[in-house]
Amino acid sequence: MTDDERSSARYLYAVCRRLDPAVLQGVPALGDAPLDVVVQHDLMAVVSTVSLAVFGEEALRRNLEDIAWLEETARVHDEVVRAVSRCAPTAPMRLATICFDDAVVRARLREWYVDLAHVLDRIEGCSEWSVKVLTAPTDQAIDDGAAPAVTNGADYLRRKKLLAERRSAHDSSVAEAAGRIHDALVLLARASRILPAQDPRLSGHRGTMVLNAAYLVPDQERAAFAALVEQLGTHDDRVVVDSRGPWPPYSFAMLEAR
Amino acid sequence: MSETAGRPLERVRDSTSLSRHGPEPASLADILERVLDKGIIIAGDIRVNLLDIELLTIKLRLLVVSVDKAEEMGIDWWRHDPMLTVGERGMEEENRQLRERVAELEGRGAEGEARHDG
Repeated sequence: MTDDERSSARYLYAVCRRLDPAVLQGVPALGDAPLDVVVQHDLMAVVSTVSLAVFGEEALRRNLEDIAWLEETARVHDEVVRAVSRCAPTAPMRLATICFDDAVVRARLREWYVDLAHVLDRIEGCSEWSVKVLTAPTDQAIDDGAAPAVTNGADYLRRKKLLAERRSAHDSSVAEAAGRIHDALVLLARASRILPAQDPRLSGHRGTMVLNAAYLVPDQERAAFAALVEQLGTHDDRVVVDSRGPWPPYSFAMLEAR
Repeated sequence: MSETAGRPLERVRDSTSLSRHGPEPASLADILERVLDKGIIIAGDIRVNLLDIELLTIKLRLLVVSVDKAEEMGIDWWRHDPMLTVGERGMEEENRQLRERVAELEGRGAEGEARHDG
């Protein structure tokens, strides 16, 4: 079949081990196609058939620029990865990994076997937890606090200086607090990654995001990790600790560059 | 799409029990930073032009992170955008003139040395 005659391809969601394919039944995939498993040795790729009218190079380039399409596709991708990762050690694929057919999928699994096996060994028995530290919404208190009343220009400048000093001291103490929280959580995690702070326009958070981190937490440490997050969050009223999980181990399923 | 907007922030937001079966879907920011930026990269048969992907990533990053953070991360394409860098171009021109002037002075110095040696 030539590329021009092709109308569909295989979309890869995740690579895993020891998955019972029955758990994929009823999990919605892209374009409402059924999910399938492509096996190569002990690796299993979770795939579904997608139309090249939507996922071909031209169409994909266009669609990726459409934030509504991107959100829908990213959510379906994530839901499939979650369903798999609840039942098996799972390495999520990056969005829009597409092969022409199952033979190509198997060839890729053979080619990357050692690296994929290494990733699966590393993440087995763990989940990813997202922890964000935000400044508490009571920040306004800095500005409203006992600052001298303004009656003349010199007072105004003094007041500005005082507020700037207070704010600067507050910011650095909040950053230190975030650092302490991270240092404590790392002890219960197998691995951690600091991610860039998110923009409130996309995440909807209030306050300043002073830490956006991902932790690879062994399942047996999950309760202790949750308890520690709770304790750290209530310990310091300058910050809000936002913990979410379990996530599939996206942030820890990266192949080494080669 | 937002999890926290419009609701008072609690001291600790731990959605352990919620996120699995989720009445509350994960935030778009959380999902995009993972499915676009993390996960296994294996080259498939459908290759979207890398340049396009980078442009997309930059646009998203600018949504996901703030502009000053983007600069920290080394995303600074606007610096190379002629529409946005008039001031810098002025500096380049100034640098060029200064380099010429230095070369001129060095040339003069070399001539002087040459005369001195000769």
